Amino acid sequence: MNSLLEIEDLRVTFNTRYGEVTALDSVSLHVKEGETLGVVGESGCGKSITALSVMGLIPTPPGRIAEGAIRLNGEDLTQASEKRMQALRGGEMAMIFQEPMTSLNPVFTVGDQIAEAIMLHQKVDAAQARRDAVALLDRVGIPSPDVRAGDFPHQLSGGMRQRVMIAMAVSCRPKVLIADEPTTALDVTVQAQIFDLLNEIQREFGSAIILITHDMGAISEMADRVAVMYAGRVIEEARADDVLDYPQHPYARGLISCIPALGKDAGGAGDMLAEIPGVVPPLHKLGAGCAFADRCAHQAPRCAVDKPLLAAHGHHPVACHGVEEGWL
Amino acid sequence: MNTSFLLRRLGYGLLLMLGVVVLNFLLIRLAPGDPALVIAGEMGGATQEMLDSIREEYGLNKPVAVQLLLYIGNVLQGDLGESFFFNQPVSSLIAQRVLPTILLVITAQVLSIVIGVVLGVLAARKPNGVMSAFVSVFATIGYAVPVFWTGIMLVILFASIFPIFPVEGMQSVKLRDASGLVKALDILHHLVLPAFTLAVIYLAQYARLSRASMLEVLGSDYIRTARAKGASPRSVLFKHALRNAALPILTVAGLQFGNLISGALLVETVFNWPGMGRLAFESILRRDYPTIMGVLFFASGMVVVANILTDMSYRLADPRLRGKG
Repeated sequence: MNSLLEIEDLRVTFNTRYGEVTALDSVSLHVKEGETLGVVGESGCGKSITALSVMGLIPTPPGRIAEGAIRLNGEDLTQASEKRMQALRGGEMAMIFQEPMTSLNPVFTVGDQIAEAIMLHQKVDAAQARRDAVALLDRVGIPSPDVRAGDFPHQLSGGMRQRVMIAMAVSCRPKVLIADEPTTALDVTVQAQIFDLLNEIQREFGSAIILITHDMGAISEMADRVAVMYAGRVIEEARADDVLDYPQHPYARGLISCIPALGKDAGGAGDMLAEIPGVVPPLHKLGAGCAFADRCAHQAPRCAVDKPLLAAHGHHPVACHGVEEGWL
Repeated sequence: MNTSFLLRRLGYGLLLMLGVVVLNFLLIRLAPGDPALVIAGEMGGATQEMLDSIREEYGLNKPVAVQLLLYIGNVLQGDLGESFFFNQPVSSLIAQRVLPTILLVITAQVLSIVIGVVLGVLAARKPNGVMSAFVSVFATIGYAVPVFWTGIMLVILFASIFPIFPVEGMQSVKLRDASGLVKALDILHHLVLPAFTLAVIYLAQYARLSRASMLEVLGSDYIRTARAKGASPRSVLFKHALRNAALPILTVAGLQFGNLISGALLVETVFNWPGMGRLAFESILRRDYPTIMGVLFFASGMVVVANILTDMSYRLADPRLRGKG
């Protein structure tokens, strides 16, 4: 089956006081109907910028899509008019954000906010939109939805607000649903509920989901395929099981070794949780070589001068000289 | 809106006005000048006996504390006293003047908020754009220029250079007996310059405030949500953002109301507008204690009412405040 959403060689730049920096470089991703693509990486590696590019919500200026294409059902969104993007946003594609506490407008009731999304994209009157909103609240598991629809966001808990965000996002049965760290701000039991809900909704609506997260646990639970991003590039991409079981890039291996394992007794109670030393380099300081080189335990001379490209090496596509040359 | 909140605010308001009465009374008596001398002067001369009899008549020979208690007692009974100068009850003097002042103050308030907020919102849309720069410069000038100067400049401009707006009074003499629409239009015509003069300083403040407030709101997560669901730029700006940005504007509007009334005093003087401000100005010159105190009492009452209304509208605008004391 053809991909529903295809991102091809996307390059996004921002004008900063350090000059123009490249936030995304040669990013190619695709996702099919009913599929979940996990996008992982640390803060600042370009996950959210990728999502915002798809939605056409990059703040312009300072940001701009410099190269590449984003195709939804074959239509290139980078060439679409603002009017067209308005019709697509919330209709064909929708997004759930990281912060349910601040992502809902404090002065409107949640019912009104969902009804607004419905009326923006469907030809229904206010009363019908309101009924649909209540039905959606019921669908996402909010008790007594007809009463809750009249609540303001501050009257709901974080988990409830994220359910409202999901109800709003799926109100028009989007083909593509982007979830940008949807559970980061929620506690663990609520996280599991939200993932279950997303899975149910995907089965029901057949949406493609792009799940952005830095939580590998979420990936193993949700994703069919995974793209690992680092410093604005995709550095490894494969089926979720492959990346989780056979991570190739040193960064991907690092991320996976950071998952705390219950019961797997490696070194006893005093065992330290693994971490990747250092931080993502600032975008204006990216050199000619591999962006991860400075943090990599296996750095070779070539890594500092030659940027590795994503290509099928070893088990699956990865951007690493070590894997390519077989010494890693 | 809960009633206990309203009752409590009304209670505070009454206490505040009692405080205003006491303070006004004492402040006026601290100021130099003797009303008996002024009244005697108006009558053509002063002998000691005349001064004594004037003091006796107006109760000015009693100790200040006694005068104060008598005055409070009268005010509580709704009696603001008798003007030294007009020989009329102060309450009827105020009644004649209150409508022009309310008309001027409300018009200026509405003008400044509406124009100021629109300018601010347009400026916030492009924080580095021309409109934004204009608002910043205009706000600085509007803030710096004293209201009487603006008034006098407008008088000069429209009295001699472009005589299209009247610069004096509230009604044309020849239209004094007109009725209905003609009279209303005549008053509106006279209202333009005083209202604009009074509005301009606050307009600048509202423009700057709403620009800053909008910029803050436009960066928030729920604005991104609104855009992500496909809302149009206009709806994002005027529905999603402005409702939130309006909260600090409302606060300032309530606080400014008092300043607006004191500004009205100057504007009424410059434009000879027959309102309470001019009455206050004339009464201060004449040491007409009861009238000054009456005007100040009434003006403080208006400010108290305006603040209660602000609090109530604040609760309407921000659901998070509802149900809280």
